[in-house]
Amino acid sequence: MALATEQPRGALSHPDVQSYAEVNRDILAILGRPGLGWWALFSVAAAGVLLFFGSWGWQIYAGIGVSGLNSPIGWGVYITCFVFWVGIAHSGTLISAILFLFRAPFRQSIYRAAEAMTVFAVMTAGLFPLVHLGRVWHAYWLIPYPNSRFLWPNFRSPLVWDVFAVTTYFTVSAVFFYLGTIPDLAAARDAATGLRKKLYQVTALGWRGTDREWHHFGKAYIFLAALATPLVLSVHSVVSWDFAMSIVPGWHATIFAPYFVAGAIFSGVGMVITLVVPLRRVFHLEHYLTVKHFDAMAKLCLLTSMIVFYAYVTEYFMAWYSGEEVERAAFWHRAFGHYWWANWIMLICNGMVPQMLWFKRVRHSIPALFVISIFINIGMWFERFVIFVTSLHHEYEPFAWGVYRPSLTEMGILVGSFCWFGFWFLLFTRILPPVAIAELKEVLPPPLRGRTREGAAS
Amino acid sequence: MRDGIKRRDFLKVLGASGAGAGLVGCSTEDVERLLPYVVPPEEITPGVATWYASVCGECAAGCGIWVRTREGRAVKIEGNPAHPVAHGGLCSRGHASLQGLYNPDRFAGPMVRDGASLRQISWEEAEGMLAARLQSAGGDVLLLHGRAGPTLRDVMDSFVTAAGGTRVEFDGLADEPLREAARIALGRDVIPVFDFESARFVVSFGADFLDTWLSPAGNGRGFARMSGVDDHGSKGEFVFVGPRLSLTGLNADEWVPINPGSEGLVALAMANVIAADGAGAGPYADVLSAHDPSTVAGATGISAETIEDLANRFVANAPSLAVGPGVAGQHRGATAANLAVLVLNAVAGNVGRTLHVQGGGQSSPSGSYARVEAAIAAMSSGSVGVAMVHGVNPAYSLPTASGFAGAFGGVGFKVSFASAMDETAALADLILPDAHTLEAWGDSNPRPGVFAIQQPVMQPVPHFDSKATGDVLLSASAAAGRDLGAANMQDHVRARWGQLHEASGAAQPFDDWWRASLKAGVVEVPLATTAEAVTLRSPDAALTFDAPALDGDGEFTLLVYPSPRFGDGEHSNRPWLLELPDPVSKITWHSWLEIHPDAAAGLGLRNGDIVTVSSPHGSLEVPVWTYPGVRADTVALAMGGGHDDFGRYATGHGVNAMALLPAEAEQLSGGLVRLGTRVAVTPTGTHRRLATIEGSDSQSNRPIAPAVALADLGHAEEEGAEEGGHGQHMEIQEGGGFVPVPTDGLPQDYPLAGQEYGGYADDHPRWAMAIDLDKCTGCSACVVACQSENNVPWVGEDQVLMGRDMGWMRIERYYDHVDATHAGHLDVRFLPMLCQHCNNAPCEPVCPVFAAYHTPDGLNGQVYNRCVGTRYCANNCPYKVRVFNWYRYTDQIPEPMNWQFNPDVTVRDNGVMEKCSFCVQRIRESQNRAVLEGREVHDGEVVPACQQSCPAEAIVFGNIKDSSSRVARVSENERTYRVFDAFINTQPAVTYLKKVTFHEVSDGGHG
Repeated sequence: MALATEQPRGALSHPDVQSYAEVNRDILAILGRPGLGWWALFSVAAAGVLLFFGSWGWQIYAGIGVSGLNSPIGWGVYITCFVFWVGIAHSGTLISAILFLFRAPFRQSIYRAAEAMTVFAVMTAGLFPLVHLGRVWHAYWLIPYPNSRFLWPNFRSPLVWDVFAVTTYFTVSAVFFYLGTIPDLAAARDAATGLRKKLYQVTALGWRGTDREWHHFGKAYIFLAALATPLVLSVHSVVSWDFAMSIVPGWHATIFAPYFVAGAIFSGVGMVITLVVPLRRVFHLEHYLTVKHFDAMAKLCLLTSMIVFYAYVTEYFMAWYSGEEVERAAFWHRAFGHYWWANWIMLICNGMVPQMLWFKRVRHSIPALFVISIFINIGMWFERFVIFVTSLHHEYEPFAWGVYRPSLTEMGILVGSFCWFGFWFLLFTRILPPVAIAELKEVLPPPLRGRTREGAAS
Repeated sequence: MRDGIKRRDFLKVLGASGAGAGLVGCSTEDVERLLPYVVPPEEITPGVATWYASVCGECAAGCGIWVRTREGRAVKIEGNPAHPVAHGGLCSRGHASLQGLYNPDRFAGPMVRDGASLRQISWEEAEGMLAARLQSAGGDVLLLHGRAGPTLRDVMDSFVTAAGGTRVEFDGLADEPLREAARIALGRDVIPVFDFESARFVVSFGADFLDTWLSPAGNGRGFARMSGVDDHGSKGEFVFVGPRLSLTGLNADEWVPINPGSEGLVALAMANVIAADGAGAGPYADVLSAHDPSTVAGATGISAETIEDLANRFVANAPSLAVGPGVAGQHRGATAANLAVLVLNAVAGNVGRTLHVQGGGQSSPSGSYARVEAAIAAMSSGSVGVAMVHGVNPAYSLPTASGFAGAFGGVGFKVSFASAMDETAALADLILPDAHTLEAWGDSNPRPGVFAIQQPVMQPVPHFDSKATGDVLLSASAAAGRDLGAANMQDHVRARWGQLHEASGAAQPFDDWWRASLKAGVVEVPLATTAEAVTLRSPDAALTFDAPALDGDGEFTLLVYPSPRFGDGEHSNRPWLLELPDPVSKITWHSWLEIHPDAAAGLGLRNGDIVTVSSPHGSLEVPVWTYPGVRADTVALAMGGGHDDFGRYATGHGVNAMALLPAEAEQLSGGLVRLGTRVAVTPTGTHRRLATIEGSDSQSNRPIAPAVALADLGHAEEEGAEEGGHGQHMEIQEGGGFVPVPTDGLPQDYPLAGQEYGGYADDHPRWAMAIDLDKCTGCSACVVACQSENNVPWVGEDQVLMGRDMGWMRIERYYDHVDATHAGHLDVRFLPMLCQHCNNAPCEPVCPVFAAYHTPDGLNGQVYNRCVGTRYCANNCPYKVRVFNWYRYTDQIPEPMNWQFNPDVTVRDNGVMEKCSFCVQRIRESQNRAVLEGREVHDGEVVPACQQSCPAEAIVFGNIKDSSSRVARVSENERTYRVFDAFINTQPAVTYLKKVTFHEVSDGGHG
């Protein structure tokens, strides 16, 4: 029979994982008592969270003047961070939803971490529009709510679109994330004791693993995946319109939506690699996160890197081709002006360094990928910095040109935002199974009576 | 009965707690002070402004002002259009007078020295102390004072005569050599009146007549009328002859960068060319023949042809006018140089046409540095028992080398009348704070035949127990048993004006005439015309015209000039002026040394590098600013910085140029020598960032401030295609789906096609502004006027360094052609930039909360209360005229400076965006008044603060939908353009009229 030539299920992605029980044991072991290393990292992250809210509190108290922003540069590190974190969020949805729909076999091991990353990154990103407001206590005015003065937000403003885009995205990705964890929460519930058990009992929603439950779960999951998929494209398109809808030279470009979406996926996959490499190492998940998974992510990085680089080139070309003095000057100053270094960091990190991924040896070297992913993270942060700050610093009116240097408060919030993200991610690794148990099992050989000692699925 | 709460008790508790909650909710701590007027003050209607006419006391020009008061507080100063000096214009220093009135550093009351510190005492005690000291001094009284009106000068004179002593007058900005030259050459001991308006060709030999010289606001008006192109396409020409371009210089059509101090030679050589045969030169024929262009060319640094050409144009374009060398150019031969310029005017036939010395009505102030020098000598010798100083700050404003501080410090009893601490008051034993000119009676006689009453416009600011010095002198004399006539200044002024009433021949009774004069603010008395023609007279003193000697052997000649913002330093404690970008350098707060870029490159200096400047008389450290408008062998430094003890704002900012100057009086006039030394400039290797608002001094090929050559006027079609209207860029857009409708914003364009929202329906006006760049001199008076009207805060040097200045207006200054190496055309463009109130405003659609919105009458409204502070509007504004409140800047404004706030304008909170509102409060006030009076708003009724202040009359505001309005008529001009409109179709409501140049315009604008 044809089946004879088929490899056993799971062999392709996880050749070293033998049984369902092994999966349960290995993954749930992560949820055990944390070691010193975890506590050290968690303390740093918690301190960073304090730094974040301390800096922000100081800014609210003293005025947003404690940032380095000025006229003409009204948006700086905060909006850079906003777009950076929204971008990070994207690959999570890409991996979990789109690759689910396409049945890409490499997603099972990484999607849980990627999805958690999405939720936490949106949580981080969502803070920045608040952080950058002059009067954050009136932020709710951007939300359309019925009021006695019949005041509505301005639906023509891309910033209002942003509110919808980001809140929708957060809602959908959080629900999607939670739904996917339910079977695993049940598995954790069955293994846990004490307080943890109570927690999982509530959050697992009484999951028993019956056929009916699996049936409904599968349907719900695929619907949510389908719902989340367009968001991958729409959210970052809307974010890009915050800039493309303006008339600022360097922002006002039709290429912005695809350019930003590609950049988001690029940065997101970069961040997934950055997160998963240590996770794999610390929790000994080498069997689950194999070189093949990294190879696939590296290829995705390479592709999106080239799209992004193409967008850079297009921007320069269009600036030249438009013949507009202002546009040309803006791009000349982007490359050779006051912020030339930021531009070259961006071009090298996003355009040049990922070219190494053409080589299989690089794609198969975890340390090399880790280093490249750090470059991508840095490069993509600077990409946004370059777009926002250099465009604003050299606009139409030469007499009003200016420069901006970020203040210590902004740096505190920047560092604090990484800690805020890390804080949640570290909690996640101890509370939820960071690798999807149930889905892994789907690709493993099912336990058959003759081949297993336990004889029953968990 | 059941236990628990009874119904009645429940209601009682409810009522009491409800009332309590209400009280807590509504009360403020000061609730008991919220008393209404029991007896309302006369003439005060809450919410309605009362205006008083008075006189500006900030410089000797004596411009007439109107002071707007609200609920008894002066809130705004405007020029009095009826006053003949400036005709309604007012300079930045005049506006900032309010910050002198409300200056928090004013003395709380009379102070007496108590060891190292000062102790406040009562006026009775202080005046008693003064009277006792005057008695015991026995005739050794010295009264050193600055500007004073005729009545105050009379009172001072009688006081000094009665007490026995001397009165010495000294004004740091007075042009004594000019007065002396007029006396020698023309036989009149007066400062001539220069009529710029009537001239067609003006040559300034370094006189900064738009900055500080004589009457800058009045000069500005006349100059703009002369140099602005008229309806017939004709315009007057202005040539600046001098080593450094001041603001005045930057307005020139041509710059002749001569050697410092050689003005007199150039003037004589020009006169030589004009009066080749000596005709008209009278007694100076010999002098002229000795100074032909080729003889002086070497000493002046310019070619003989340049001088000849200049001379020929000077006569060909009659009537012409030559002025100078001004205050900055006061060198050791300054009287001779001034005389040479007067001779040039005389031979060109300008005396009596553009230069007037008629009328001897003006009392002749007898001030000069030479007399101060004598006073210093007297103080040093111990022959002064009581030294009194009023209205001047010689410990700061005289050269350090003069030894004033030491001599004054050695006097037995020193009295200062300073209203706020200054370097001289810091040495005094007794401080009798003078009232501010807006609080006290006085009068002014700025030029022959013009008289004005300085009327108090409000009760003295209660924080400061001050007393007008005139009143103090009168009561001190009375206490000493010497009666000086009326008991107070008000009666003295009235008495003096009684004489004037007789002289004026007015038909009204005195009381009516007096009230009418108070209301009008000015009285003009016809001058007795003398039959005697003004002719050149033989000199009664030895004159040498050669370039003056300079001390030291440094590489650079030092030019010390009065600051357009601070004068000689007396206005330095006013944050509006400190933060006003200097009209030339655009630097705020600190001092800078102007040095030519080539010279700076030779020393390896960049902007902000600190250098040591050393002359034989002293040295100081100051950052350099490279400026193409100064000769490479000259460095320039403004007065007014570097106060040690002058209040919280001035102290510590900048350097005092007086440390470098010799203490020397010019021989003939006794004026202080300012251009007298050479200096060495040595880099220190340290750096200080200059708090400038300038991003770039080049237009970078953008048609922001384009110009048109005079010869090209009338060829509108080619010109429009090149720089102005809608060229090829529209074609691209017309193929697309959304077709923006191009419009020139002229009356016939309304209602705008395609504009459905904010569509300027028929019953709404469309407010618009036209700014004539051929008239704008860049003086920046509008900037301070706007700040004063609209409660725009200042932010401090550190915030300006961060790029956070709050000005709603800025005067952009772009160099087009500035060449210090040889004579040639000069092209510098000034552009007042303010919110353009676009029809297609980029700021409006991006605001998420409708804080930026469009009013039906075309304004870009900004609702401060609605703003959440995203700053997207500012990012999207191509003109960058939106400013953000990064902090609650008004928090730092101390009592009673906040009394100046205009109650009609919101004080903005932390975190909101703001910008020019076209003075919407004035628009609404006019509209409300029109409704009450049942009429339409007249054209010209709404006058924004900037337009009101503009001495050059460059700004016109009104309803552009009304084709008969002035703004519509001004905008219908071939010079009209709107910034960036041609390629981003913002359709601004501000139209600019291009500057007109005599040379071909090289910049084709946007290609």
